Amino acid sequence: MENEKTMSKPLLLEPVSFGRTFAACLAGLALPGGGHFVLGKWGRGALILAVIVLLFAFGFWMEGHLFFPEGREWLTWFFSVLDMGLGLPYLICLMMDKGFAVTPEQAAKITFEYGNTFLCVAGALNLLSVMDAYDIAIGRKP
Amino acid sequence: MTHFLAMLLFSFLVSIAFAVLSQEHHTTEDRVKYGFKVFGYFIGVGIVVAWVLYPLPL
Repeated sequence: MENEKTMSKPLLLEPVSFGRTFAACLAGLALPGGGHFVLGKWGRGALILAVIVLLFAFGFWMEGHLFFPEGREWLTWFFSVLDMGLGLPYLICLMMDKGFAVTPEQAAKITFEYGNTFLCVAGALNLLSVMDAYDIAIGRKP
Repeated sequence: MTHFLAMLLFSFLVSIAFAVLSQEHHTTEDRVKYGFKVFGYFIGVGIVVAWVLYPLPL
């Protein structure tokens, strides 16, 4: 016997146009939560923006640093991809050469690795939020 | 900033993001419940892992 959950009808959601889907993904990469703003999901967008900005700010406050791929140091490639998920904030830091340098005093702080983790997770969550905006745009999620 | 405070802060922020980005929870009430659940898991697993690692000579 089927229960109520399996008998319930799937949600029928209307996908948005290709242009708006593309704009949402691009806006999500430019500004955390931007994809949700383009799709009119203001509350979700604001929460994502707040969480990612706080992770970013706390990451630097804890003396963390952003990564840039370095030759055969494969681990830096992995962390760089996560950091690059931040989108425009990462590019701005890269262009201004801020947040990439590491001093021995900075690395000796107990919060140093926490800071790096906060920054990497901020980037990873932004990538997830872009995928979420894409799912909303194509009608896979309300 | 203590290790525990850093864990609380991280868990709090990431559980909010997970609740917002969840694919299976569509109402606000469901999302809030899921956020609390994820937060609890983060803290619980963090404390268990800390106790498991505590006696090791790392």
